[in-house]
Amino acid sequence: MPLLEKFSVAGQLKSGLGNVGKDPTSVVFDQLNSATEGVVEGRTTILAGTNNYLGLTFDPACIAAGVAAMQSQGTGTTGSRMANGSYAAHGALEAELADLYQCSNALVFSTGYAANLGVLTALLGKGDAVLLDSDAHASLYDGCGMSQADIYRFKHNDVKSLERRIKRLGDRSSRCLVVVEGMYSVLGDCAPLKEIVEITERYGARLLVDEAHSLGVFGERGCGVAEAEGVLDKVDFVVGTFSKSLGAMGGFCVSRHDVLGLFRYVSRPFMFTASPSPAVMATTREALKQLRSRPELKETLWSNARRLYSGLKELGFELGPEISPVIAVRCKDRESALAQWNQLLEAGIYVNMMLPPATPGGASFLRCSISAAHTPEQISTIIEKFAELKS
Amino acid sequence: MTNSIEAVGEKLAEILTSYLKDNWSDSPSSNKTITAATNMVTELQLDSFQVMEFMLEVEDHYDIVIDLDSLSNIHTITDLAAVVIDHQD
Repeated sequence: MPLLEKFSVAGQLKSGLGNVGKDPTSVVFDQLNSATEGVVEGRTTILAGTNNYLGLTFDPACIAAGVAAMQSQGTGTTGSRMANGSYAAHGALEAELADLYQCSNALVFSTGYAANLGVLTALLGKGDAVLLDSDAHASLYDGCGMSQADIYRFKHNDVKSLERRIKRLGDRSSRCLVVVEGMYSVLGDCAPLKEIVEITERYGARLLVDEAHSLGVFGERGCGVAEAEGVLDKVDFVVGTFSKSLGAMGGFCVSRHDVLGLFRYVSRPFMFTASPSPAVMATTREALKQLRSRPELKETLWSNARRLYSGLKELGFELGPEISPVIAVRCKDRESALAQWNQLLEAGIYVNMMLPPATPGGASFLRCSISAAHTPEQISTIIEKFAELKS
Repeated sequence: MTNSIEAVGEKLAEILTSYLKDNWSDSPSSNKTITAATNMVTELQLDSFQVMEFMLEVEDHYDIVIDLDSLSNIHTITDLAAVVIDHQD
């Protein structure tokens, strides 16, 4: 096949998305009024699909910290930490993350995607094995793929499926990394981490948990599902992102293992990328402070999530299995999902469109992500507009 | 246990037929006759996700683990049978 011809499939898929109305991949927010409200095509729109769980993107203290950092340190770092040096804020942010997770080592990456690529390619190599939850995020699949380790999948959140596979590895289980997420991003369901930790330890394997969607959402300190389940100290590597609850951009890894410090010398996605900018580090550090000092943010988030989940459930929608700030509404098929997504957008509600093959079970979903910044009136409006889909 | 490629291919066709009926009953592929020569992508139009999900069933049936890399050149049920036999050894 000639080089450019393979894009015809992607082209057909893209034009199919616009058949029913607006293409969900082409939404433009002309203006942002707050963490939960924007303007799309002249319409004031409630943002219910932003992963902005704590609603900190417009927090005055975070904005002030970012502005001050940009004024005092400039707009960018213009290079990687290995070649061009670190800023004091890189180290300070790493120390604050290590303190939050109560572990000895932390490393900051430029994006959450780079964190997963950087950690997995450093940890794994030829001859190693990785057992990956089948619903894991693309960045985890890509990191495992780049590492050249042998990748084996197990059924989503199925501890028996995990154990059967780890057992089949025999002596290789000591060279195995189990990779799961805390809360999964499509359905908002959580990994059974207590059981996964027990199996991983019993077979001498190591465990990596991606808390991208669960940082700030679960656990007393907001560390994620591992903290909430009481097994944070048993997890070998925790990865996460600054781009969701912390309202910035970037990724990190924390670990009780000192080898994490050596990743700086072996992890290409760390070594060969420009480091996070002063403004990003400053807003992230301020957001971490807010996370620790304002537990009411998490309480409001959960209260909003419970209200939306029960409101949609009462309307008869088929939802994900657990109440969480990610609420996925299952649609009959791809066409009805596209039609309903368009109807919601025209009614001033922005949610995410999730289509196969990037979805569990090949189903189509309208995914809402709820924020602590949503007002009770906004939640009522979201429920009301979903109700109109039924009429 | 008969370990010939024909026997394994026949069993895999049986597992896939029942898997599609149980999990993808809405798909037109769920009613097709599947044989060892069936091409999973062009004839059944299974996407990469469906093939990977089916592999989990195959692994459990034969008590083996198959790495994702081994799936890249599998098109027909016979191709898959060869991989299963290889991983049993």
